[in-house]
Amino acid sequence: MSGENAMNKQTQGSAASSNADAKNPVLEVKDLCVSYGKVEALTDASLTVGEGQIVTVIGPNGAGKTTMLSAIMGVLGSRGQVAFDGSVEGVPEVERMVARGMTLVPEKRELFGEMSVEDNLVLGAFQRYRMGKRDHAQTLEEVYALFPRLKERRSQAAGTMSGGERQMLAVGRALMAKPKLLMLDEPSLGLAPLIVREIFRIISELRRRGVSILLVEQNARAALQVADYAYVLETGQIAMQGPAHELADDPRVIEAYLGLGGKHQAMLST
Amino acid sequence: MDAMRILMDEHQSLAAIIHAIRHMIGEIDAGRLRPDHKLLEAMVHYLDAYPEKRHHPKEDAFLFGPLRARTHDADAALDRLEAEHAQADARIAVLEAAVKGYAQDPVGGFEAFKTAFNDYAAFYRNHMMTEEREVLPQIRKHFTAEDWARANAGFIADDPLGGTRASARAGEEDFAQIFSRLVAAAPAPIGLGAGPYKG
Repeated sequence: MSGENAMNKQTQGSAASSNADAKNPVLEVKDLCVSYGKVEALTDASLTVGEGQIVTVIGPNGAGKTTMLSAIMGVLGSRGQVAFDGSVEGVPEVERMVARGMTLVPEKRELFGEMSVEDNLVLGAFQRYRMGKRDHAQTLEEVYALFPRLKERRSQAAGTMSGGERQMLAVGRALMAKPKLLMLDEPSLGLAPLIVREIFRIISELRRRGVSILLVEQNARAALQVADYAYVLETGQIAMQGPAHELADDPRVIEAYLGLGGKHQAMLST
Repeated sequence: MDAMRILMDEHQSLAAIIHAIRHMIGEIDAGRLRPDHKLLEAMVHYLDAYPEKRHHPKEDAFLFGPLRARTHDADAALDRLEAEHAQADARIAVLEAAVKGYAQDPVGGFEAFKTAFNDYAAFYRNHMMTEEREVLPQIRKHFTAEDWARANAGFIADDPLGGTRASARAGEEDFAQIFSRLVAAAPAPIGLGAGPYKG
């Protein structure tokens, strides 16, 4: 656990990442920077996700939220430090992060549309299978228990499913990897309010089952309701952070991200 | 603050159900969707069994009553809200009669159901706006730590979507499960169901 100790020392004294309730941090990111050419999209971003926590990153479109997830996962090159499950990663690499138990549900779902629902799910367990773990049949039943709709549609081509079903399939496929950390990029994007409520109910259920979650969302109200701790990312920098229920009551967050009443009032308008 | 979190969570669930009914009515009206009368009745039942019978009593007991004890600044809004809560049975009865009438007379009953639903949705919009824009800020301003402790405990003890009361009191409806069933049955793109779309 030398990596973990090293990380703890480096985060001490850092004002940027103080998720103090995070017990047994699964993920500790320190001073992460990403540049697209000369443009810095993420600047010295630090955050912590504790075991069994839901941590959310909220912020406007273009703030760098997806960039942050991509860098943590190793999809994008970055500077800074990422410690995952007790070990410091020099430069994250996708294959290694997946093998170590990190999964990302990307904003665009990235399903194999011609393949069946079940084949998409089984593919999610591929890395575990390669590592000699043959428990995918049991995991599949666990995923089906969480998403009965997927079981009903198990033989259907993924490309023929509705947006809500595809999002559930994307989350289900990620769960097939039995992740230590599940990262969700805008899971509510493009979905109707009824389905958004259901997706967030499932995210809450995953926490009850012990899954640690890093949730990136523009739907700040829904994200803050479900999360334990929250970071506000603005123009590539962490602008605010705190327990989610405190940020939800913060006048600055209310004004910038929640508004008076919120979107649900608009839903009631004719 | 758990009371606020649960209250807003419940408002969003109610708004999502109303949004879904509105979407279905629009699709039926446009001739694209065949009515699923059972689903419409189930959604109206949800509005009766959940906001009218479970959500409003919590607001009255743990938020509005204690606020009156702290200040008179919100009395006018509270009078209006509590009067609306007291009319819950009559309000939902109109909508239930309309949705049943629509099932019995799919041709002639649609306009009456649409009108009753639009009235109900408009009422709810005004009701929620009064709560969230006029009353909740006063609660935030005047509640003491003791008020919050009681409100939080009251809301946590009866958080149907979170399942706390459903698991504690056998025989009651499990609203989280009902909500999931409604999501599964509602037609895409508002829900997960295939939906009886025409053509």
